[in-house]
Amino acid sequence: MKYLRTRITEVEYPAPNHALLRFAGDEDIPAEPGEFVMIRGDWGVHPVLPRAFSLVESGSTGSVLVKAIGEGTERLAAMVAGDELVVFGPLGKGYQVDTSERRPLLVAGGVGVAPLLFLARELHAAGRRPLFLYGARTADDLPLSAEIEQVAELVITTENGSVGEQGLITAPLQRLLDEDANAIIYTCGPDGMLHAVADVASRAGVPCQVALEAPMACGMGTCKGCAVMGTDGSYKYVCYDGPVFEAPAIFEAAS
Amino acid sequence: MSQRLQTVLGPLTLENPFINASGTFGYAVEYADFVDVGRLGGVSVKGISLDPRPGNAPPRTVETSAGMLNSIGLANIGIDAFITETMPRLRELGVTVIVNTFATSIEDFVELGRRFNDVEGVAALELNISCPNVHAGGMHFGVSGAAAGEVTAAVRAVTGLPLMVKLSPEAGDICEVARAVEAAGADMITMINTIRGMVIDVDRRRPMLGQKMGGMSGPALKPLAVRMVYEVYQQVSIPIIGMGGIGSLRDALEFFMAGSAAVQVGTANYAEPGISLRLAEELDAWLSERDMTTADLVGLAHDPA
Repeated sequence: MKYLRTRITEVEYPAPNHALLRFAGDEDIPAEPGEFVMIRGDWGVHPVLPRAFSLVESGSTGSVLVKAIGEGTERLAAMVAGDELVVFGPLGKGYQVDTSERRPLLVAGGVGVAPLLFLARELHAAGRRPLFLYGARTADDLPLSAEIEQVAELVITTENGSVGEQGLITAPLQRLLDEDANAIIYTCGPDGMLHAVADVASRAGVPCQVALEAPMACGMGTCKGCAVMGTDGSYKYVCYDGPVFEAPAIFEAAS
Repeated sequence: MSQRLQTVLGPLTLENPFINASGTFGYAVEYADFVDVGRLGGVSVKGISLDPRPGNAPPRTVETSAGMLNSIGLANIGIDAFITETMPRLRELGVTVIVNTFATSIEDFVELGRRFNDVEGVAALELNISCPNVHAGGMHFGVSGAAAGEVTAAVRAVTGLPLMVKLSPEAGDICEVARAVEAAGADMITMINTIRGMVIDVDRRRPMLGQKMGGMSGPALKPLAVRMVYEVYQQVSIPIIGMGGIGSLRDALEFFMAGSAAVQVGTANYAEPGISLRLAEELDAWLSERDMTTADLVGLAHDPA
């Protein structure tokens, strides 16, 4: 874990309202898919807290995918090459990559694509054949799909049918598992989607790892702000017990 | 860092006047990889209770204009784990440890105080009689002079450790509470803890936090805190450790000039975990240019007698 002053080296705009910030400092940020960083611009006292983002890339250059949804993310999305970015990480526990013959199914919703693109690239580099299921509201909410296609077979669903199959991502996921349940699911996205994916996985008896999001202040287990209730009745902390959990630790088994 | 930063707080002497505030820096050991925690003026560790506490229902934090709300609920590992697992590491790291204790009864505050008497490496005890996030107890000790005095006197009777009492801005008259804890034997006053606030999620039409209300901290709190330090300084003789929204040297200078002999840095630790050391170095340079010491600053904003 490091606390680095970095500079933005490049900004891409992979979809409306989204920015992919690349940054580099004096030191590398080595990380595994699913690990995250806390980042903050040099903008004075407000907004006061850094924001948590899964890494899309790590190493000498790191990157994060920002969707502008509030004041902090709007400021981050407006940053340009040369701006100073304070980066704190890598933090948390990432995906535990399964090395068996199970087929990796990566299920992303919205900006949940970030850690899964990282994972897809790693799997591809290791000679695996990941299948990437990517669900969104509309065609405008599918950042980085072109990058995914370079390393994985891509299946898209949109709620309005503007691209891919119309409906929710759980529909093609269910069909795939009906055909072949020798699979493992890695997922990241909105809570409702994670719950639905965990249900599908649970019914099919397929292992599933979920990456959660929670409001966070410190990012490293000290403030106790990012608690979620686990199925064992005890609080889990997204920043250091996670953000990636085995789905049954968070979601009750589907009946 | 130079001698001019040395800070005498009654029976407690710190190498510099910047203390990391309870609840914003864990037990300090978590930061040892990238902050030289032994050089901090002190660390007030996350509030310790007799039994471990799981904390409140989430969500527990939300950001506000120039600040944040938290309703953590004093989640902590409990005194046994703290003494056996955390304290040895803190001693190794050379941290100036201020143990922040929390209880819902006077008996439990006394028990905590008694047990820390014999723990090597504890520099001071800080009584948290001002947490707004725990239903039973907590803040009620801090909002009346009588209750605050009673708990302070009871702990004073069992501990020889330097004793600081952390006051609540929710007291009807914080000066009355300050006078009461001084009379009851406190060596120092820490002020202020958070003040309760609320954020409403207009989409869900409900309060954002699981507990509805949370303690507000951060830069937005600073003028309130400076005013209270200024007022209390005129009414007590024991040293005041000021806090509330400090994020820059100028912020800290305001607190010293209002009457603080030392300061605590809280929410700003989230933005920059090493901020206290940076501020100490900046203060050192600032004082050096003016050939002053920290002690020279205390209360400068008050009218000459």
